[in-house]
Amino acid sequence: METTDTTDTDGESLRRVEIDRSVKGPVLFLFANSAMWLLASTVMGLFASVKLFAPNFLDYDCLWFLNYARLQPAHMNALIYGWAMQVGLGVAIWLLARRSGRPLSSGAGMMVTAGVFWNIGVTLGIIGIFGGGSTSLQWLEFPAFVWPVLVMAFLIIAIRMVQHYMSSSASNGFTLTSHYVLAALFCFPWIYITVNLLLNHYALQAPLGAFGAGINAWYVNTLILLFFAPLGLGACYYFIPKITGQPVYSYQLAQLGFWCLIGLAGWTGMQKYMGGPLPAWMPAIGGMVSLLLLVPAGVVALNHHLTTYGKHALIESSPTLRFVFVGSFSFLVMSALGALLGTFWTGASMQFTYAEYGFHLIAIYGFFSMTMFGAVYYIVPRLAGCEWLSARLIRNHFWFSVYGIAALVVCMVIGGMAQGQSVNNPENWNQSMVGSVKNASGYLIGRALAWAFILFSNFWFFIHLVFMVLGLGRRSVSPTLLHHAHADHHAPSSTATV
Amino acid sequence: MTSSKKFIYGLGICFGLPWLIMIIIPALKAQKLMPLPYDKDRDGVEGIYPGAGIYRQGQLVYAREGCSQCHTQMIRPSFAGMMDATKKGWSSDQSEIPSEPARSSNMRDYLGEPIAFLGVQRTGPDLANAGYRLKDKAAMHVHLYAPRAVSEWSIMPGFRHLYVTQVIQGNGSPDALDLPKEYAPKKGFEIVPSLEANELVNYISSLKKDAPLPGQVVAEAKK
Ligand code: HEC
Repeated sequence: METTDTTDTDGESLRRVEIDRSVKGPVLFLFANSAMWLLASTVMGLFASVKLFAPNFLDYDCLWFLNYARLQPAHMNALIYGWAMQVGLGVAIWLLARRSGRPLSSGAGMMVTAGVFWNIGVTLGIIGIFGGGSTSLQWLEFPAFVWPVLVMAFLIIAIRMVQHYMSSSASNGFTLTSHYVLAALFCFPWIYITVNLLLNHYALQAPLGAFGAGINAWYVNTLILLFFAPLGLGACYYFIPKITGQPVYSYQLAQLGFWCLIGLAGWTGMQKYMGGPLPAWMPAIGGMVSLLLLVPAGVVALNHHLTTYGKHALIESSPTLRFVFVGSFSFLVMSALGALLGTFWTGASMQFTYAEYGFHLIAIYGFFSMTMFGAVYYIVPRLAGCEWLSARLIRNHFWFSVYGIAALVVCMVIGGMAQGQSVNNPENWNQSMVGSVKNASGYLIGRALAWAFILFSNFWFFIHLVFMVLGLGRRSVSPTLLHHAHADHHAPSSTATV
Repeated sequence: MTSSKKFIYGLGICFGLPWLIMIIIPALKAQKLMPLPYDKDRDGVEGIYPGAGIYRQGQLVYAREGCSQCHTQMIRPSFAGMMDATKKGWSSDQSEIPSEPARSSNMRDYLGEPIAFLGVQRTGPDLANAGYRLKDKAAMHVHLYAPRAVSEWSIMPGFRHLYVTQVIQGNGSPDALDLPKEYAPKKGFEIVPSLEANELVNYISSLKKDAPLPGQVVAEAKK
């Protein structure tokens, strides 16, 4: 079971310092670069959103490559591979090192090199999309030569950490965090190599036709459910007990939630093309399983709720807990939205609309990124040896992110329904899209404003993080808490041991 | 068996099963899909279904440009309130009020395409049957060059980088775009489609996924 800082002996905390030091290089490298990609992705997301209601915005001949059809995939790919996966890898390294109970003996330098290659891969991919090398496969738009680079970089990091974890003596028995993290590290290469081999290579020799699109839709969903979900939940299961000082409420429940998620996730995805050319059982299974996925989501939410029960004051003061709490709540919202999109009754008017974008954003930003922000706020002071400069900046980051993502998702879901209803309205039989474009345009302004909020919040996050990585944080033994009135009371459970 | 081994096997089985059933086996099976012949006696037509297929060279341009971010290529059946089949112009029947709804798409309609671009979102009209309704290639070029010259409410980006501005020589090029005044080039210049633009337009023209299914032609004629 998770140990907590409160039950520490001096020996243990010394060893933790050693563990943290052994992974400092790669973790901080990945964090700093990912924050930069987040910023880049947010700017592109903002531009793409503006272009949807004001298509003449930045429409100059010399900026010919900045049209929505390239901005949107570049934005999503930068968000996924540049930010989310990269920060996720950093958190995974740190979590596995901590769970192994042993400092990493070697391989930190190699992981930094792998990180460099990951970033080279993403950069080439984004340039490729803008330069006209896009494959037009959703979330796989990077030109075909990029994926082996990403796979190699990922495997170097993942294999080193799994090796380290497996070989350490502390890893006997079931620990929630490490199993979630291991599942994510294990599934991503499997999924990614499969779809890339099939879509980028095999399909050219042996045409896949409509099924190729099905594989693509499967990739999008499994990436969310088998990489982002386990990694994010693993982090939740680490930080919530750690900061509240309470063990995970129910262990059996957690285990049930884990296996439900892993067993169900692989069946979803094809519901994106329900009513389309795929054999009907594929989207049917996908839709049904998205309903069933409410079970693990409910289990996780219940467990986290009961673990934090009675400790809600901590959410006020601990930046990490605050972000993680919102993240774990968003997981529930994401699952509900996924279920709504998956069946004909509710999905028919949301299919192919902005509602799907809303679903992707609640998954990647509302759930995963918020959880990762929480982790970053916890991890970085321990690695950098200094404390966050300003509680104000953290609070701003939190509120602008929360309002931003909430507005974004609400706008996209309602806007998507308005769009879908107009397309499906029998009265519009003879005019194809004008109603849909006009109905959605107000919500698109909302979407652009939301991105502006998120941009503002992440700009400060980036600056703050850079100061920390450079070791220019506050020199202090007490961590930066959000409400100083509570600080004394809760200090023992969240104080940095560094 | 150690617990970590058990865990790895558990993962492998839990995820391997859907991986095999949803992806690998259907991918191999997709290869076995063959065109079907029409039966002259039964269907009243000869040949095979699906017919010519798409213009692949232009599909590559479609992919590079990312058109599928906004355009779908699949017709959904008419239930649960879905309206694709009865939209004007979305079927092979281009008359003012079509007698039959469009047929919903099936796997064979995309036979031979390495990957069909079923689409990410449907911001613009569905293009599955665009070839039947967009017959004027010159008009399509004008639309691609300046969508708002055609519908002022359009949010489709203009793809001007697929067109070349050149000095008019002699009587000018026969392919020059006939643009409204605010989009027209400077005096003495004309705008012509590049090779890529021509390929793209040929691809859109080749999108005809409403061929009658063998065995259903007669049934429909009798109705
Ligand atoms: C921002 C989303 C967007 C992108 C990207 C986009 N379109 Fe469009 N498209 C639209 C909208 C909206 C309409 C309907 C309004 C209009 O006719 O301009 C449309 C209309 C069309 C039409 C006319 C269809 C008809 O039935 O009349 C064609 C053809 C077309 N687009 C082709 C393309 C091609 C080819 C590309 C890629 C080079 C592309 N579109 C990229 C949004 C988009």
